[in-house]
Amino acid sequence: MSIEEKSSTPPEQPRQARLDRIRSGVQRFGGHLAGMVMPNIGAFIAWGLITALFIPDGWIPNETLAQLVDPMINVLLPVLIGYTGGRLVHGQRGSVAGAVATVGIVAGADIPMFLGAMIMGPLAAYAVKLFDKFAQPRVGAGFEMLVNNFSVGIISGAMAALGMISVGPVVQSITQLLGSGVQVLIDARLLPVASVIVEPAKVLFLNNAINHGILAPLGVDRAAEMGKAVEFLIETNPGPGLGILLACLFFGPRASRATAPGAIIIHFLGGIHEIYFPYILAQPRLILAAIAGGASGVLVFLLTGAGLIATPSPGSIIALMAVTPKGSHVSVLAGVLAATVVSFLVASALLGFGRSARKAASDSEVSA
Amino acid sequence: MNTINGAQVKKVVIACDAGMGSSVLLTSQLTKALAPYSVTVEHTPVNKIPSDADVVLCHTGLADRARQSAPDTVVLGFQMFLGDPVFTQLENAIKAGDTLAG
Repeated sequence: MSIEEKSSTPPEQPRQARLDRIRSGVQRFGGHLAGMVMPNIGAFIAWGLITALFIPDGWIPNETLAQLVDPMINVLLPVLIGYTGGRLVHGQRGSVAGAVATVGIVAGADIPMFLGAMIMGPLAAYAVKLFDKFAQPRVGAGFEMLVNNFSVGIISGAMAALGMISVGPVVQSITQLLGSGVQVLIDARLLPVASVIVEPAKVLFLNNAINHGILAPLGVDRAAEMGKAVEFLIETNPGPGLGILLACLFFGPRASRATAPGAIIIHFLGGIHEIYFPYILAQPRLILAAIAGGASGVLVFLLTGAGLIATPSPGSIIALMAVTPKGSHVSVLAGVLAATVVSFLVASALLGFGRSARKAASDSEVSA
Repeated sequence: MNTINGAQVKKVVIACDAGMGSSVLLTSQLTKALAPYSVTVEHTPVNKIPSDADVVLCHTGLADRARQSAPDTVVLGFQMFLGDPVFTQLENAIKAGDTLAG
């Protein structure tokens, strides 16, 4: 009855089952990371717009309003992430503990502590959860509120102090180490190689995990320092997907030709990249086109010095343009265009410029 | 394998990784299609499927996680976001009262 059953083939089952388990495990972990960031995208956009407008290089520089930039990126955004991370673990009490504990690593740090918030928020909430499990059955009638309020207060306060003294410095050096790792890749012009991992992972529904869980936290440090970061463009570039959809529109099997125009609008303008994943999953060799397109895009971004202020979410061309700093629009568009063209050409070649679709159509008529 | 009669379906939940992107897109489409049968359609993250869902729809790539998150609910996997036969199958089952399994 369901498609799921038909697609699972018996001979390879044990190995396939293990791969599926690993994939869904990685998805779930990544889902938690993305789940802390994605509900707060609105705040990121607020920060991105304020930064693009009011910083000294911005569209309408304004010293007074530019004061909003640092507190938002250094305090508000990490605290929101820690709050949301706490909520995922232990509801409202968890979110309060997560927010308090996150302030512990935010205060005194010289970089935006996104990774730290992703650790401390859930950790503090988990501590409260453990306490609640132990204490709630044992609290006498009438003392619930007293115990509840003071337990969150004491635990989260202690976590904040602990975070400031021990976790904060460690996370700060890890973040800086990862950031300089990316810098090495950029300097050696090796960053396009990242597409070899990023593009296939996207199609396995790890897109949010990779962008919001890994690339965005890395990019935010550089963006705060330099005003833009190329990390935000690696996963969010709609070019590779657009190229593949265009190739499917012209040369794909008949079924995908019919849906491709709608998919192109939803993908490129709406920014919902998931819409093109099935076209690749149906014809896995198309992943080569996505990789080639993604790598070409990143290469052009590097050569032209393109970058974004904040992570564009969703990955729509409109969102990309909105968070592009003044003066970078041409280079960002150039990278998107390069990715689209390369991915379109490779995908078209892989589809045999329509020959394989015609062959498949005649084959299925024969077998039917 | 869970089953449900299409006539008993009152709430369809569409799940995606974050519950904010592709699931919202499908929700607005299916809401229109299923409104005549007074079926509500909601979107959620795949890890947080509500327990009162009668049928869960999600991409086959996420179906394992949906089944873990809602072990007692019918989970239907689709492959294409646009024009997948599963959507028509669901609508027809609700209309005709056929059994859905998944």
